Amino acid sequence: VPALSHEDAVRSFDRSRVHHARRHSKRWRLLWLLVGPGILAMLGENDGPSMIAYASDGAQYGLGLFVPLIPVLFAMAFVVQEMAMRIGTVTHRGYGELVLQRYGRVWGWFGAGDLCLTNLITLIAEFVAIRVGLAYFGLDAWVAVALGLTLVAFTLSGGRYWRWERTVLGLAAFNGLFLLAAIFSEPHLGTLAGSFTFSSALPHGSTNTLLLLLASTIGATVTPWMIFFQQSACADKGMTPTDLRHGRYDTGLGALLAAVFGIGALIAGAALIGGSGGGIEGFAGAGYPAALSHTVGSAAGTLFALGLIEAGAVAILTISASTAYAAGECVGVAHSFNTTPGKAAVFYGANVGVALLAAVVILIPGAPLLSIALNANVLATVLAPVSLVFLLMLANDRLLMGRFANRRPTNMIGIAVIALVGICGAAYGIDSFLSSVNVIS
Amino acid sequence: VRAPAEIRERGVADGREESARGRSEVDEHAVRALDRDGDGAHEVLLEHLERDQLVAETRRPVPRAQLSARAAAGLWALRIAVVLLSVMVLYAFVERLA
Repeated sequence: VPALSHEDAVRSFDRSRVHHARRHSKRWRLLWLLVGPGILAMLGENDGPSMIAYASDGAQYGLGLFVPLIPVLFAMAFVVQEMAMRIGTVTHRGYGELVLQRYGRVWGWFGAGDLCLTNLITLIAEFVAIRVGLAYFGLDAWVAVALGLTLVAFTLSGGRYWRWERTVLGLAAFNGLFLLAAIFSEPHLGTLAGSFTFSSALPHGSTNTLLLLLASTIGATVTPWMIFFQQSACADKGMTPTDLRHGRYDTGLGALLAAVFGIGALIAGAALIGGSGGGIEGFAGAGYPAALSHTVGSAAGTLFALGLIEAGAVAILTISASTAYAAGECVGVAHSFNTTPGKAAVFYGANVGVALLAAVVILIPGAPLLSIALNANVLATVLAPVSLVFLLMLANDRLLMGRFANRRPTNMIGIAVIALVGICGAAYGIDSFLSSVNVIS
Repeated sequence: VRAPAEIRERGVADGREESARGRSEVDEHAVRALDRDGDGAHEVLLEHLERDQLVAETRRPVPRAQLSARAAAGLWALRIAVVLLSVMVLYAFVERLA
């Protein structure tokens, strides 16, 4: 019998409630207790840069291509996140530590390095999103920084995974503001329904801009931090193989909500199509709430601004958490919300530290904040294939997964997802590089 | 499977010390469990956890996998490609800013 720790006691308490609900056939109670990591990963990825990317898609190209594309991308995200959930639930270990232990320190640290780089850039973009949302109400950057850091400190104060998860879930519910913004922008329902037929021709315009939008839209749905986060969160929550079905419900529900709310942002952005300077450069994030307010009314603009604040805030919490999990797992020390800061200094330090670092950047006068926001997802897309390949390898590892290892259909879909993400990232990277050195126009 | 008594007692003592610091319902649960004798405490806590879920178990590393030469070469090729693409994206990004 191994030594007991406080973390075990906390997790045992959470699990006792799950067992009680299961024993007494309380289905809705059981679902309520077991949802969390999947919804948070999906709605956390409906973050500031992603919602700006969706709105840019709508403002630039209308509903035609991207409305049906978003559900397809979230279906891809479901396949990826289901694997992460399954590995975390079966092995009780995070992605970072499994890659490090199973494939060596080099690959583990490469993965953690990619994650820290993209997370830092994305976190800067999240603070930008909060700042953009607050600017609509006349508040400045200091308020954005104070709000973001206060939220991180507040959610970490509980010393318990359950409390952290429920607080962030409560905040994430406000991602629905983008759907309200779409309703207030009064879209033409016939055009919206018609866009789902995939009958629209490919949008015209510059190839580089289209590739940027495609890459950033893919980067808005399949990213390395989501893999790190959901796998570690499932382990931290204490999920076991008996919870796999509910883990799939959780991930599916998250994907559905994220797709609906993402389409909401796209529809709101599409209300601006044909407006003055309706291109991605013209609106560039900061202009969306004000432009919506001017074009379709102040309610839509206000809801979009509030949505950006929420999207940034939730993503700061989840992305900081994924960085903290990765840091704790790779260093090999305690990495759980069920521990105290004194017992898990690296975990809590990384959680606060990365958010603090990103907050400092947005206070630098003249920093190219909006460009950072637009490119954050693209970098995540470019770096994602390596993480996805290791995820697929782990999910097929029979020594770790036993009878829960991937089956052939999941592998085929997984390979297709990796190929699509890789091709889009590579196409944008090569095209933008050749454009910048004037090899192509 | 029973651990030697001294290990069991040390685990219970560690848990009780940590639990005594907080006042949450979870800590109450832990204290109630740990206030029993060593075996009883383990039984209460382990009743709801799988053995390989315990922190002490998850700290034990999983065995290293042996990658074939082809797999290792493929992973390195992908790694290098991704780094090159990242440099291209960052270069284009900086160039646009300039």
